[in-house]
Amino acid sequence: MIETTRQRSNIYRLLALIYRTEITKALLKHIRDPKFLSILSDMGAELEDDFLKGPEDNLIEVLAVEYARLFLGPDKHISPHESVHHERGDGDWGTLWGKSTVEVKNFIETSGLEYKSDYLGMPDHISVELEFMNQAAGREAQAREENDNDGVLCCLKMEKKFIDEHLTKWLPVFCKKIISEAKLPFYREMARITNNFIEFEKDEINRYIAEAEKEETSQVS
Amino acid sequence: MANLTRRNFIQLGIASGALLAAEEGFISPALAGRVKLKKGGKDFNFKTDAERTAIPTACWSCVTRCAAMGFVEDGRLVKMESNPKSIRTLGKMCAKGQSGPNDVYFPDRLLYPMIRVGKRGEGKWKRISWDNALAELTVRLKKLRDDGHPEKFMFHYGRMKASSSKLIKSVFLATYGTKTISGHTSICEGGKWTSQELTWGKHYDNWDFDNTNFILNFGSNVQEAHTNHIPTSQRLIRAKVERGVKSVTFDVRYSNTAAKSDEWIPIKPGTDGAVALAMCNVIMQNDLYDKSFFKFIRATENVNASNDEKIATLKAHLKQYTPQWAEKISGVSAAKIESIAKEFAKTKPAVVINYRGSVAHYNGNDTERACQMLAAITGNIDNPGGRCRGVGPKWKYPKGPKNKPKAKKLKLAHGFPGTIAYPNHGVCQQVLPMIKDGKAGRPEIYMWYCYNPVYANGDNQGNIDVLKDEKMIPFTVTSNIVYDESSKLADMILPDATYLERWDWEDMVDPNQIGEHYIRQALIKPLGEARDLGDVVIELAEKMGMPLGVGASKEEFVKKSHEMTAKAVKGFPGFDYMKKHGVWHDKNAKPKYYSHKKEIKADKLKGAILDEATGVYWDPHKAHAKHPEEGYAKTKKAYKGYVGQKMGDKVYKGFPPDKVNKTGYLELYSALLKMKGHPALPTYVPVPEHEKMKSDELVLTTYKVAVHVHSRSTHRKWLAEVYHDNPGWINPKTAGARGIKDGDKIKVKSKIGEIVTKAHVTEKIVPGIIAISHHVGREESGRYASGKKSPFAHDNDPDLKRIFWKAHGVHPNWIIPNSPDPINGQQCWMDTVVTVSKA
Repeated sequence: MIETTRQRSNIYRLLALIYRTEITKALLKHIRDPKFLSILSDMGAELEDDFLKGPEDNLIEVLAVEYARLFLGPDKHISPHESVHHERGDGDWGTLWGKSTVEVKNFIETSGLEYKSDYLGMPDHISVELEFMNQAAGREAQAREENDNDGVLCCLKMEKKFIDEHLTKWLPVFCKKIISEAKLPFYREMARITNNFIEFEKDEINRYIAEAEKEETSQVS
Repeated sequence: MANLTRRNFIQLGIASGALLAAEEGFISPALAGRVKLKKGGKDFNFKTDAERTAIPTACWSCVTRCAAMGFVEDGRLVKMESNPKSIRTLGKMCAKGQSGPNDVYFPDRLLYPMIRVGKRGEGKWKRISWDNALAELTVRLKKLRDDGHPEKFMFHYGRMKASSSKLIKSVFLATYGTKTISGHTSICEGGKWTSQELTWGKHYDNWDFDNTNFILNFGSNVQEAHTNHIPTSQRLIRAKVERGVKSVTFDVRYSNTAAKSDEWIPIKPGTDGAVALAMCNVIMQNDLYDKSFFKFIRATENVNASNDEKIATLKAHLKQYTPQWAEKISGVSAAKIESIAKEFAKTKPAVVINYRGSVAHYNGNDTERACQMLAAITGNIDNPGGRCRGVGPKWKYPKGPKNKPKAKKLKLAHGFPGTIAYPNHGVCQQVLPMIKDGKAGRPEIYMWYCYNPVYANGDNQGNIDVLKDEKMIPFTVTSNIVYDESSKLADMILPDATYLERWDWEDMVDPNQIGEHYIRQALIKPLGEARDLGDVVIELAEKMGMPLGVGASKEEFVKKSHEMTAKAVKGFPGFDYMKKHGVWHDKNAKPKYYSHKKEIKADKLKGAILDEATGVYWDPHKAHAKHPEEGYAKTKKAYKGYVGQKMGDKVYKGFPPDKVNKTGYLELYSALLKMKGHPALPTYVPVPEHEKMKSDELVLTTYKVAVHVHSRSTHRKWLAEVYHDNPGWINPKTAGARGIKDGDKIKVKSKIGEIVTKAHVTEKIVPGIIAISHHVGREESGRYASGKKSPFAHDNDPDLKRIFWKAHGVHPNWIIPNSPDPINGQQCWMDTVVTVSKA
């Protein structure tokens, strides 16, 4: 189970890196590693030849343009922030720095984490939300190592709350928009994987919790 | 892209790990620090940093009995918190609960058995050993029993619940053979319970705030005091803050609950029933009712009436209660009544809530019934978001000796003969007056426990007169932690363990409609020579030659209960788990809603017979009926054999009866009330004293504050510091007419006496009223409560020097007569007519 938790944490971190800024050289190098590409291919991600074979500098440039077009503007773009996409019953959504932003900020800060002073983005940027999950699952893995079942449950419940109240409330919509707007396969496929992963997590987390609760009961009885 | 499998993600996770291991050249994270696990349940000494031992337990400050955590350092209890694992409390605890350590360590605490040496009530005491105390009690109790009069031992308790109640009442007192037992419910909420027993059966309503969309409140101060306070109040606030749920509060006083409502609607005292009935009328006449729920309603004598007949009957009955009529009575505008009624009926789901503010009146029984009607006709019964029947955990426990004697009783607990129609929960406030009266006999030994009979009932002086009179009651004994106004009148005082020093299993209702098992563990050894009465009765029984066979201590009784419960409740993890975690609930359990809709199949009807008159299937054998041919309604305790209710050609679980032989319908029409000469359908009856009021007279109403238990917390210094004085709230108009200014000394006079207190002139109370809280105004209970030192108290509490308050308040019960609701025996706390003048 520790391994599974670490793997989950890793996926969140990877996705966080992918959305945080334009793809860096270092990251691209790893992604273009044949082993990595074969895993993506197993997942049905069609990255096509230009991605696989083109010269690195050119690809970085093309991807940066695509990133800017999709997420930054100046024209119509898909803002990678929860408060823009998270449809709320009270109607307070659709803008930057909305109610959801405040909620995400509170959630993350209540967990003991803080926004670094050199992070200049907004609190509910997709990469920050994914990074939060990376940290939470990381802490869960540590609790598992320490056989601290209470700690595991505590982390899992926090993760579930964040998935239920935030990630699943906007990522499906957000990813769908990317899938339909992307011109290059890279971001389209990453959006697909992100969406699928969150869907998968949403169900699996309940199973993890049930297992930890069972463990809790059997420890003393 | 096809759905991805677990294997895909495992591979991706591993590969991501390898990729991330390189670290170089990646953007640094946006977040710093580490996720901290805030599990609660941990505390540290702020000086030494040493971790304190956290022990799960349960509070006992009020009847909510929240699951809690006690923190112990070097054998001393230092702090109370909530148990973060509790699904009831969600890790929250009120001020009362947090002041728990004060209960253990207050300097005036009773720590040794004492016997009086002077006249009763004189205040002269001698310390005695437990051996001598129990030897004397054994001789006295044995003599009564051996003479064939165990009933002359009367046991009267205040708070006694769950395992404490089972061990002391169901095992010890039953084995001894006395049924001369009284609780205190009628001075609390007995009227509400009885009224529910007359409508939907077993009492207790849970308000499902988590799922509701509208809250209509008649006189409940749920934010400050409630029988399920912290579990309920936080859910109400959560509904309002997170979901913007609207709430409307009718109250004579601007309580903090009213303040947190969208609207406070001032109302004249004792008239909530008129408004509720007028709302029912608006809903029925405008066809805003939920027709489907009428299947489960009884609205007519004929139990087979069709929905249309039921609707027509209610419409006809309610026609008299127009909003205009209710406006004249209540002072609430007809337009307001109409608009709220419509909003309540149209918002789904909606919950109607009410408590003592509307129930502790002469007409409280039918106010409660009117509220039940509001919920029923709109289909807001036992549904998510509505008014639901409370769900608690199921415990099993050792029942003691198999062959118990047939218990005898003096009929002192249910009011003067013929005065109360259904005293289902006793008429506690009449116990001492009935002892004085003498016609039902008098106990030779009167013992009270966790109770202050002098102050908790009305007519304090009357109570003192009876309790002090050695001719009326030859021997008085109490088990208590505090030397209060009643302990003063005991012949023998047994120092009780506080709730933080004893064991129990607990069972209060869960707002999730699931049920949570929880326990109370002794956090520390009882101070001085204090002992839990549960342990004491086990020893007493041994000494009397009637061993209870439930274990050598209360702890063993609780442990055995766990073993038995583990066999009966699926998944229940047992004693060790409960000691470690304090709480448990079945994770697979679904919230219990709509259980009335459950159909009873033919195989479950075996042994049951159909009572044609009521449509009830009942098992006469289960009800121990000697003459089943007399029918369900007339057979004593036939309700114990209830199986189901015939509705059309099917049988449903319906609303099973408790304590009275009602049908399985939700009875808006009560044949039982009709039988006793009261209106069958909910009806408005004005409070007689209020009808006769002269123009200069006012109504005295009482209330509770958030930081005190009704009558058992004034010795807790943290609470006394916050609240120690209780001036009478009076409206500027009412005060002005009497020349009274804020802070003036005033005289409040009723037909049984007068008190002198201070005026708090405020718009927060409707004109024509004076409101005085309970709690304070003590004559004893130690220095924090009254400034008076208790016998054998010590002085080594440095805070004694820091008592800055000189005022200790004035208790209102001196001038409130003991007057029960004629239907259910509920003490009418809110009806007293008084005059108020400058003192």
